[in-house]
Amino acid sequence: MDDAADDPLIRRIADELARPVAARPDFEARVMAAVRGAPSTAPARAWAWLSEPRALAVSPLHGLAAAAVLAALLFAGIRVVTRAGRAGQVEAAAPEPAAATAPAIVSFVLVAPGARSVALTGDFDGWDRSGLLMRREAPGLWTLNVPLAAGRYRYAFVVDGRRFVADPSAPPALDDDFGQPTSVVTVSGARAAGGAL
Amino acid sequence: MSGEGPDEVLVRRVLEGDVEAFAGLVARHRERGLRFVTAMLGDSADAEEVLQDAFVRAYRGLRSCREPARFGAWFFQILVNRCRTRAATRRRSAGLFVQDDAALERAPAPPGADMEWREEITRALAQLDPLQREAFLLKHVEGLDYDEISRLTGAGTSALKMRVMRACEHLRASLGEADNGRRR
Repeated sequence: MDDAADDPLIRRIADELARPVAARPDFEARVMAAVRGAPSTAPARAWAWLSEPRALAVSPLHGLAAAAVLAALLFAGIRVVTRAGRAGQVEAAAPEPAAATAPAIVSFVLVAPGARSVALTGDFDGWDRSGLLMRREAPGLWTLNVPLAAGRYRYAFVVDGRRFVADPSAPPALDDDFGQPTSVVTVSGARAAGGAL
Repeated sequence: MSGEGPDEVLVRRVLEGDVEAFAGLVARHRERGLRFVTAMLGDSADAEEVLQDAFVRAYRGLRSCREPARFGAWFFQILVNRCRTRAATRRRSAGLFVQDDAALERAPAPPGADMEWREEITRALAQLDPLQREAFLLKHVEGLDYDEISRLTGAGTSALKMRVMRACEHLRASLGEADNGRRR
């Protein structure tokens, strides 16, 4: 089925289509203006900084205080997780008013018994095909908790690095029906109305 | 600065906070991206908008680009998805994919292009099933192999081969006569 490459007509069509198309002169300037106005990649840098291993010298007294603070943070984190629904099944976390801009933890779950790997991809990672790797909790049960700011996100699972699978427990994304199967989760903020679609 | 250094260097600089380094990635991948989107959508104004949107999404999602040296392939995946989304939006709002004579007139001819031949090709592409058009462009214009196209689109290689074969059949039927005419 590959012999079309040797077909002179197909070759002439392809050659014509391969000619460069001129962009408007200000194209790059417009893209860069939009990029400068886009949310920065700072969270990644912040995460890299936070996740970077470093040694800390702490006195026993300060250590006790730090442990107390960590315990409080952990407790708060667990509360957010428990408020978060399973993506697509129930409303995702509605953060406390005081933490209106803080991301909520959304739990994504897929049952895929034969899968060797499952990744999550969506609007939140630029539809990276390698996606965010999910964890195999039990045979055939894949989960991942993702911090998401309030908003509407389309997403899909990538099974074994190749196959796109929509979330069977979530509504389909009607604005992306021309390609891969895609689902939608809506994360409610304190000021955002409604819940999961 | 713009366009200097391999993609992975530019990606790293952007992730380290040098937003302007992204202009280098735009300069490097603009031409190929615009060529693909214009052929997919048939309207240069729409194509620039979709390409810009893809670049902004790439910037926002840059941290998920696991192989910065292969930024181009990663970006093309975003671009293919954006084309699909735009095509779906068009189908719902206009009922047709391209088949738009006004868009044909707006589209500037690439340097050296035979205008009439180009228009014939654009019309024939517009009549293709969008998935066939996408597979044809990726295979015969972008020169990707089926494994790469499969990674980009999520479709299996046998389905892709079938799409390309159908697209070629259609293009031969639509353009054979025009091609003979212009070569006489």
